[in-house]
Amino acid sequence: MDEPDGMATARNPGVDRRREGELIETGPAGPAAVADLLAGLRPQASPPPAPPRPDTPAAPEPPEASKAPDTPEAPGGPGGPAATGADDGPGDRPRDRPWDVPRLASAIAATASRFLDHRTLDAETDFFDAGASSVSAVELVAALDRELDVQISLDDVFADGRPRRLAERWLRATDQATATATGTDLLVAEPRPLLPQSLADEELAMIAADLAMADSLPFRPEPLRLAPRRILLTGATGFLGSHLLFDLLRYGDAHVVCLVRGEDDKAAEKHLADSLASFDLPWTGELRRRITVLRGDVRAPRLGLTENHWNDLARDTDAIVNVAAAVDFLRGYPSLRNTNVLGPLTLARLAMTGPPKPLHHVSSIAVFNEIGITAMGEDDPVAHIDGLVAGYDKSKWAAEAVLRRAREHGLTVTLLRPGGIAGHTQTGAYNAHDLSCGFNTAFFRYRTVPAFRNFNFSAVDWVSRISAAIVYDPSAWGLNYNLAGRPNTLPELLRDMQLSGMNMKVMEWDEWRADFLARWEADPIPQLDFLARVMRSPTAVKLCEATLLGPPARGERTERFAARHDLPAPFRYDAAAGLKNYERLARDGLIALPHPTDPPLLWFPETMRGRIGPVGGVPDTPCQLRMTLSIASMYQLTKKRGHTIDIRRGELICPQVHRQPVTVESGEIDIRPDDGMPLPYGESHPLLHYRLRLRDRDGRLWWLEGWKTARPHHDVWKQARTLSIEIGRDGGPAVFAGRVKVRSKSYLREQVDGIRVDPGLSLQEQRIAKAAWLAWFVPEMVKGLAEPWLRAAADVLDLRRDAIDRQNDSDRAQDRKRVKSRERWPR
Amino acid sequence: MTLRQLDARLDDAAIENIPFTAGDGTELGLCRITRADRARPPVLLLHGHTASADMFVLPETRNLVEVLLDAGYEPWLLDWRGSCRLPHNEGRIRYSYDDVALYDIPEAVHYIRSTTGSRQLFVVAHCMGALSLSMSMAAGLVPELAGVVAQGVFLTPKMSWPVRTRFHFAGELLRSRFTHLPVDIKKVGLRSKYTPFFALASLGADCPDPNCQMLHNSSWGSGGSLFEHDNLDMRTHDRLAELFGSVPTWILPHIRRMEMAHAVLRWNTGDHRYDRLPDNAVDHADRIDCPVLLMSGSKNRIWQDSNELCHDVLSRRHPRLDVRYLEIPSYGHVDTFIGRGAALDVFGHIVDFLDQHR
Repeated sequence: MDEPDGMATARNPGVDRRREGELIETGPAGPAAVADLLAGLRPQASPPPAPPRPDTPAAPEPPEASKAPDTPEAPGGPGGPAATGADDGPGDRPRDRPWDVPRLASAIAATASRFLDHRTLDAETDFFDAGASSVSAVELVAALDRELDVQISLDDVFADGRPRRLAERWLRATDQATATATGTDLLVAEPRPLLPQSLADEELAMIAADLAMADSLPFRPEPLRLAPRRILLTGATGFLGSHLLFDLLRYGDAHVVCLVRGEDDKAAEKHLADSLASFDLPWTGELRRRITVLRGDVRAPRLGLTENHWNDLARDTDAIVNVAAAVDFLRGYPSLRNTNVLGPLTLARLAMTGPPKPLHHVSSIAVFNEIGITAMGEDDPVAHIDGLVAGYDKSKWAAEAVLRRAREHGLTVTLLRPGGIAGHTQTGAYNAHDLSCGFNTAFFRYRTVPAFRNFNFSAVDWVSRISAAIVYDPSAWGLNYNLAGRPNTLPELLRDMQLSGMNMKVMEWDEWRADFLARWEADPIPQLDFLARVMRSPTAVKLCEATLLGPPARGERTERFAARHDLPAPFRYDAAAGLKNYERLARDGLIALPHPTDPPLLWFPETMRGRIGPVGGVPDTPCQLRMTLSIASMYQLTKKRGHTIDIRRGELICPQVHRQPVTVESGEIDIRPDDGMPLPYGESHPLLHYRLRLRDRDGRLWWLEGWKTARPHHDVWKQARTLSIEIGRDGGPAVFAGRVKVRSKSYLREQVDGIRVDPGLSLQEQRIAKAAWLAWFVPEMVKGLAEPWLRAAADVLDLRRDAIDRQNDSDRAQDRKRVKSRERWPR
Repeated sequence: MTLRQLDARLDDAAIENIPFTAGDGTELGLCRITRADRARPPVLLLHGHTASADMFVLPETRNLVEVLLDAGYEPWLLDWRGSCRLPHNEGRIRYSYDDVALYDIPEAVHYIRSTTGSRQLFVVAHCMGALSLSMSMAAGLVPELAGVVAQGVFLTPKMSWPVRTRFHFAGELLRSRFTHLPVDIKKVGLRSKYTPFFALASLGADCPDPNCQMLHNSSWGSGGSLFEHDNLDMRTHDRLAELFGSVPTWILPHIRRMEMAHAVLRWNTGDHRYDRLPDNAVDHADRIDCPVLLMSGSKNRIWQDSNELCHDVLSRRHPRLDVRYLEIPSYGHVDTFIGRGAALDVFGHIVDFLDQHR
């Protein structure tokens, strides 16, 4: 097959895909060609419609399901060169091997094993369950194509990554024999149509089989209703799990055993420490005192523990908290069931082994993710399983179903259902692979939003705090709790953004999706790769639709619980709650903070006139400073510290500096720097600090620094307008100094009436922006000007007599009274 | 001896109470807690105003003294004259933070050094203890410390505008009528001249405990808050009146003077006995000669982001200083030491800092 040079597709064995894979997985900075890579892979996602060859069976039409409808077609269309090609491969490819299922599965497993650390994959183990990452998946797809001439799409690997199933699918897609299919393979042996209907049937059958496994659980009495002293926690390396670990330790006295994957206990401990650090959580000796890190795996039988360990755990543990989950909206049910369904089942078995203990399972409101569902209350019926589309939704649904059956066997199961988990309100830490976080990032980054109904999105600190309290309150066990917080609605989000000066464009869902993909392709950022992949996946898109267009998740029981325990009520993740997260996203390069070079939100002129002279000399040279001041967004004013105004452009006209006007290249004004703290060794309170960089017509650079300060003098109005300036050559000391002043009659005309707002905004938005600016800036100036006067007043008040003086006076008066009394009426 | 007994229950640690009187004749409290296994670096712990050394030895939770002992340090607890274990806050002899900076802290440091020899000495200080320490350091009275941890406020006291408005104006009204403002309603009774004050503190409070309302909902009428309610252990919550005492109103003008300037200032400007203290400690911060860790809860509703401001100012004006800032998420002010999760969220950072400079 001919490919353009450098085009990263699975068919070009010369292209090293590790970087693209790493970008998908870890998202380093800088644009990547992941979109190209995926686009290049996608046409081959379907089994190749290769023309018949003498040594291979005739290739079938590409299966429908493997064609992403929104995926750009390969050059030449579906039937073009990029979509064909088994016959275009290198001459050394093995063409003389009529595969059968066992041999091909074995070959795929052997190839896949190379991408796993210290592990050999067998034909029945899911590639991801064995520890593979998205990087490995990309590499595997390329390796199978290159080495085995087997074309499997990335989506196929995500859907079901067991080598045997991959082999069966490929053989069936290429009309080769599948007679050896066994086990959970419930496909009717028909070559076509291959994936869509049969996969759904297969998954339903698999879910049914998984549910039936719950029937083998023993029947046990209820556990003792006592606050736990030793808790088994799974998923402590995840976003919610790590925060829940800390809340379990903060709000109770229990020792927590963390089940963590790793080669050994030491590696597991390192894995946990690294994960906590990534979420800004400390790994200290005090933490290590109260936890035990146990190497294990929820996907493995007996959690991957020895029988003795298993029995010890069953005997000593008072409660089990299961947060571990594979959260991937592209992978299918077969790929997720080990972690998300069989894991909870194993934990249920552990809870019912030895002394009965409660199992608190972190589920998800995804169990309601059926389009058209009318209510999402805690005790409302969950979705119909055949109405769920995404593998993730099905796996969470199946886990709940399994655990409901376990309840009938006597197990006390608490179902905790968060919605989207937003960043921490105090640290801003977030989960980059959470769908809601991805949406939030896309909203902020592109300033567009789909017309959603409810965005069930709550802060991780709230979810984990409530969950920990439930774990420690035996009266709360055994019930369902929706931990989705108070959902954001579209008008609320738009209002927040209007107030912050970051107005958003509302689009229909399909329009927004296309717009997002177009923007992402034009300017890809690795951190949003996963969202782009979700937006391209038909099943994941359905999941998103159900999420954004569904009803609000109600949590009356959770609200009552929070009120009873004096815990924070569910709150909306509004602009204030998300401020730290916003800043963190910006720091990580996911969004861009407003920058002086951005189109301004509003701007106004400022003209100052005065005189300057040599430093230490007489300021006798006229000087004029004309500038346009602007702000890019209200974030400059609402952030915690360091409020600034940008100096967009301007010029300094002063013959002593240069005979021609000197141009302002850049500049910034700090508003009440250091919160108005007096300047060193002085009593003046700074109001505004100007910092400008200028260039004269001869190309020389200058700096200008100016201070507006407040003093306890009567000329307050003058102080607000006067700027003391110093000017010097770039890198040198001050050469000129003097004062410039805004004329009294032009101050309001320029700085109030002269305010101009981004004409792209509606008139109402323009009025809001102007009013918000003035409502913030004027009080700041008033506070700054009042501060020296208040200090002077306080100095006078300090001289007042206090209660001790009054009591002393009172005591003396009483003594005198007694003395007088004695003198008048001596005994 | 008027010092109340220290409420400490520490296993296998020796508690040595040392009679200690400041140079101006004021009785203070000094206590050494150690394990006799090896020579340990001493760590002087300074409480906040109206609290006491009890805040470092809470028996109901894992406390800072236990953590320091386990980490190989020797805690020394100074009850400076603002301690509620001492009677000075309710007395008629006024003092200012100048006295703490000039007498209490330098003399305690001198005593510890004379006892422990050449071992490194660290200081962990909270609130007004840290603020007074900053003045001592700027005056060069406590040179060559191995490291300082200052929680809440240090050189640049700053309140939010609503709190400063109430604190300064309400304080001005109150100080002419009350010598001190109590916390313990049982001590003053339901019907007392302080009853309206407690009624004011209860407005809008979630917690029915009047002592808690005074500290959490009102912060002695300032409208601030000393801690995040959810962060306290219930047992700590129920003994707040033991942990915090009355605040003397005659010291409020000194706080006001410093807060309005966002700088630690000398109160006794015309008194030559205090000439060793600078008029403005921030202007003499270059005399600080040890690493400083500034900490603050992200929800500090009394001193707000004072320590972040301090970090910004010191980093810019004195770039050679080793100053770092650490924000403790979801913590308020004093709960960074008395909170039930403080060992987990705060003390680990303190020990890490001390270990780093040991």
